Amino acid sequence: MKRNFALTYIILLVLQVMICNYLHVTPYLYLCVLPVMVLCIPLKVSTLAVLFIAFGSGLAVDFIADGLPGLNTLALLPVALLRRPIIRGVFGEELISRSEDISAEKHGIQKIIIAFSIVQAIFMLLYVWVDNAGSRPFWFCAARFGVSTLAGILVSLALTRLLTEGVHDRWS
Amino acid sequence: MPRRDTVYRIVCAAVFILMEVAAFTLVGGSGRLQSTWILRAANSVRGALWGVGENIGRYISLGRENKNLSEENIRLHMALMAGMEEEDRQKADSLAEAVNGYGCFNLSPANIVKMSRNSQHNYIILDKGSEDGIQEQSGIITPYGVVGIVNAVGKHFCYGISFLNKDLSVSARLGRDGIAGPLEWKGTDTRTALLKDIPMHYEVTPGDTVWTSGYSDLFPAGIPLGTAGEVNTVGGTSHQVTVSLFQDFYALRTVIIATNTGRDEIHELEKREGRR
Repeated sequence: MKRNFALTYIILLVLQVMICNYLHVTPYLYLCVLPVMVLCIPLKVSTLAVLFIAFGSGLAVDFIADGLPGLNTLALLPVALLRRPIIRGVFGEELISRSEDISAEKHGIQKIIIAFSIVQAIFMLLYVWVDNAGSRPFWFCAARFGVSTLAGILVSLALTRLLTEGVHDRWS
Repeated sequence: MPRRDTVYRIVCAAVFILMEVAAFTLVGGSGRLQSTWILRAANSVRGALWGVGENIGRYISLGRENKNLSEENIRLHMALMAGMEEEDRQKADSLAEAVNGYGCFNLSPANIVKMSRNSQHNYIILDKGSEDGIQEQSGIITPYGVVGIVNAVGKHFCYGISFLNKDLSVSARLGRDGIAGPLEWKGTDTRTALLKDIPMHYEVTPGDTVWTSGYSDLFPAGIPLGTAGEVNTVGGTSHQVTVSLFQDFYALRTVIIATNTGRDEIHELEKREGRR
């Protein structure tokens, strides 16, 4: 069954806003699927466009959810910029040159985990760093980074099917 | 095509930077903590940039600094040399004053040009020669002991046999009015000598000062040489006293050349009486 990626993306964005607003389990945990959503945007979409999508998505979450405005945006933008190099490094040049999309079935779950881990780590590193702004001890920041990154990867893996399969050519 | 790619990348980077700046501005404007933090980070960056600028400026002016330092170094070196010369001169004068009053001895301060200490036949070269009135067979002394004997005289320098020489012995006395005997370097270290031929009946008190006896025409009497230490019997006929010398030969820089002005007359008398 073919799915519209844009619709999936918007649904996940709404889900993310809800998570931000209602999921307050512990100060160590910030659950976020935005980096994986950006990573899974079809490869035919240019980097410039992805930058704008990331900027818009980040701002949407920042303003709708009760967080610090701009925080998600600034952490998400490097993921958007580095998306292609990360995909090239993990999945190979062929995927880029063919403008194929990421697929767990095609490329294996291991590569998916590696790619998800990288983008989650980049995002969380910036998010935790700026959010704490040097006001918390290092061990707290490290624990928050570890817990949030791990949770983000696990949730993203659960959404893998939704994000990576049968989504060719359906952005817009 | 590659040029288009490059331009595209530059545009992407520029857009990214603009968006990041916008996001940071938002964060800075919303959170007081973040605002302070960003301000502090900006100040650090500004400070670092100023530091880099300052360092570059310093690096550029290094050549001039080096030249100034070299000139200052030369100036200081010359001042130091002048100071050292003055110090040596004062030390020599004070040495001459300290040993003044040695009767018919003519005293002349001299600087050590070269001195050996590590062989069994050590020597010493001084910066005074025949032009300064130095004669062969003059004593080389300090207020703390005997250093050697002038053996050869050049125009501007003289060569002496050091006391640290197995061939040299000095007539010494145990205490001011005690018994006299030849004092020789022990040959092992620079601070120990042996006072030999002390009769068995003479009781040596360790710690007594050993002085020059004045029994030779080389050294004035009454120069303190060291203190008596261990006493050993040699061949059952005489005592041999170990003497700890006052003079530290490693600290020597200036000495006094003591020339006996009555030596010719003494030699004449000895010759006349068939003693020489």
